Amino acid sequence: MAEEEKKEFWRWTETNWANKDIDWRKGKTITGGVDVGSVSSQAVIMVDGQLYASANTRTGYNSPQSAVNVMNWALEATDGMKLEDIKFTVGTGYGRVKVPFSNKAITEIACHARGANYMYGPSVRTVMDMGGQDLKAIRTDDKGKVLNFLMNEKCAAGTGRGMEVIADLLQVPIVEVGERSFDVDKEPPPVSTTCVLFAKAEMLGLLKKGYSVNQALAAYCSAMSYRVFTMIREVDVVEDFVITGGIAKNRGIVERLEGHLGLKSLKTEVDYQLAGAIGAALFGRVLYEKQK
Amino acid sequence: MIEDFKKIYENRHNYMKAWKAKNPDWKVLGYMCSYMPEEILYAAKVLPIRWLGGHEPQNVTEPHIMGMFCPFCRDVLAQGLLGKYDYCDAIGITHTCKHINQAYESMILHRGVDHFFIPTPSKMQDKQALPYYAGILKIFKEQLENWTGKKITEDDLKRGIAIVDENRRLMRQVYETRKADNPPISGLDSMYMVTASQMYDKQEVNKIIADVIKNELPGRKAKNDPGIRLMILGSEDDDTAFINMVENCGSSLVIDDHCTGSRYFWNTTEPGNDLMSVIADRYLKRPPCPIKDMPNRTRIPHIQGLAKEWNVAGAIVIQQKFCDPHELDKVAIVNGLKAVDVPTLYLEFDVTVPIGPFRIRVEAFLETLGSEDLF
Repeated sequence: MAEEEKKEFWRWTETNWANKDIDWRKGKTITGGVDVGSVSSQAVIMVDGQLYASANTRTGYNSPQSAVNVMNWALEATDGMKLEDIKFTVGTGYGRVKVPFSNKAITEIACHARGANYMYGPSVRTVMDMGGQDLKAIRTDDKGKVLNFLMNEKCAAGTGRGMEVIADLLQVPIVEVGERSFDVDKEPPPVSTTCVLFAKAEMLGLLKKGYSVNQALAAYCSAMSYRVFTMIREVDVVEDFVITGGIAKNRGIVERLEGHLGLKSLKTEVDYQLAGAIGAALFGRVLYEKQK
Repeated sequence: MIEDFKKIYENRHNYMKAWKAKNPDWKVLGYMCSYMPEEILYAAKVLPIRWLGGHEPQNVTEPHIMGMFCPFCRDVLAQGLLGKYDYCDAIGITHTCKHINQAYESMILHRGVDHFFIPTPSKMQDKQALPYYAGILKIFKEQLENWTGKKITEDDLKRGIAIVDENRRLMRQVYETRKADNPPISGLDSMYMVTASQMYDKQEVNKIIADVIKNELPGRKAKNDPGIRLMILGSEDDDTAFINMVENCGSSLVIDDHCTGSRYFWNTTEPGNDLMSVIADRYLKRPPCPIKDMPNRTRIPHIQGLAKEWNVAGAIVIQQKFCDPHELDKVAIVNGLKAVDVPTLYLEFDVTVPIGPFRIRVEAFLETLGSEDLF
C-alpha cells in the first residue's frame, strides 16, 4: 500500500498541558473533571478554581480505561501531582458514570454550560457544543446554569465524527479542513444531505463531476453549518454566543454558522474541547466544599 | 397485588389464551385506538383488548406500510402479522389517524380477519356530533348482533357500561393517590395498571385494582424519596423501559396525558335514557386525541389543569416519530405549559428508544429543575 493510503487523516492532535506558574502544593482545593465523550476524552485539574492542567485524547473502546488514561496524561504534565492529591472528581460525558475514580457524575450539558461560563465569562447566554456525536444548543444564565437545551436526535450529521469520515475520504488532514474549505473561488451549494453516509456518496459524485477537493470540503462544511443552524435556532440564540467542542476548531463550520446567525462567537485561548471537563471540575469544587 | 399488572402486561398473550379457554361463550376483539366503545362489546359478550406494540425490532411490516408511518402503527401491525394476536376473533378500529388505520387495513388485507370500522365523528365539538355518533353506535351494535348471533338487550348494555365505568372510576381513584407528596404508586406501576386494564378482562382487572386500593396503597410509598415530580404526555406510550429509566434518575412521574394512560379512563358515562347517546356522549367528552381536538384545542387547559393539580415541576412531552397529530400540537402544548411555568423536555419515540442518549437528556432536564446548588 502506498504511504499516503495508510495515513489517518481524521487524527487530530492529542495534547497535555500544565500551567507552570501555579504551584499546586500551595492550593487549598484541587479538583478534577473528566469528560469521557463518544470520540474524545478530556481531563482537567483545577487548583482553587483555576485551570492548572489538562489532557485531551481519543476515547478508546473501553471508556473507564479512557478516563484513567486521560487523567494520567494530565497528571504527567504536572509537577509531581498524583491522583490522590485530587480531592474531588466529577465525571461527565457519555462515560460519566464509568469514571472509576470520580465522586459524582453530572451531565455534559450542565458541565459545558458551566465550563463555557468559566472560559468566556458571565456574559455567555448561548452555548453551542459541537462534539463527536452530539450537538447541544444550551441557553444559560450568568452563572452558567442551564436554562434550556436541545440535542440532536439519532442522526450524528454535523458532528465531529462525520467530519473525521469526510477528512479521511478526501485525504485532507482534519486540522486543515476548515481553512481549505475557504480556498475556493466561489462558495458551492451545500451537499443536499448531511447524513454522513449519503454525503460521502454525494461528494464522490461531486469529485467525478469536476469539483476540486476544496470545493467538496466547502460543500460539506456548508451543509453541516446549515444543519447546526436549523437546530440552534430552536433555542432562540441570545448573545453572547460561544462554540465549544472539537468542531469549534474548524473555521469552515464556525464562520459559516456565524454568517447564518448574523453574529460572531466569542473566542478564547483555552482549548474549546475542555469546556465539559472544566465545568465538571468547577462543580467538583463546590461539591467538595459542601461535603467538608 | 400491584405486581399482577406487570405480569398481565408482560404475559398478555398467555393470559388471554388461558382466559379464552375458560370463556368459550365469549369472542375476543382486538382494537387499535382508545376511542373503541368497549361498553357495547362487553354487552355483546365480546372481550375488547387493545393491541399494543412489542417494542422489539421487526422485519415484517416494510412491504406493507411505509417507514415514514409512525413506529407505533408499524409495531402494532407487526404483532398482528407475526400472529401474536391470533386468538382474536376480529379486529376493530374507530376513525382516527391514517397511520393506525393503515395498520388495520393491512391486517384485513393480509390476514383476512373479521373486522369492524366505526366512523367516529371528525369534528367532535360540533352539535351534530352526538346524534350522529349515537346513530353510528347503534349500527355498530347491530353489526355485533349479526356477528355473534345474539341480541344485545338494554340490560346487556347497562352491564357493559357498568363494567367499563367501574374500571374508569377505580383508575381515577388510583391516579388521585398520586397527588400525594410521596405517591403510593410509581409511574411505571400506574402504566402497568392502566395498560393491563386494556389488554385483559376488566371484570378481573377491576377486582385486582379494588383490592390494591383497599389493601396496598394506604400508607404505601413507591419510593423513599420521590424526587422531582414530573408529568408525561403525548402520543401512545407504553414504553416501560423509558418510564423506568426516568424514575431511576431521581424523579417520579405522577400524572400523564396519553391515550394509553389517563385519556383512556378519565371520564365515566353520564346517566341518560338513550344508552347509545349515553355512550356516544362519553367519548365526545373524554380528553381528546389531538386529531379530534378541533377547531378548539381543549387539551391545553386540560393539561395545564393536570400539571397544577398534580403539582409537577416539569413535563416530558413525547411523540411517536412521524405522529402527525401530536407533532402539530407540540408547539401549542409546550407554550401552554410554559404559560403555567412548567418547563418541558421534548423527545421522539421509536419502536425501541435509545435509553443511553435519552438518559442524558432526562438527567440534564432534571438538573435544570433540581434545587442542588452547584454554583
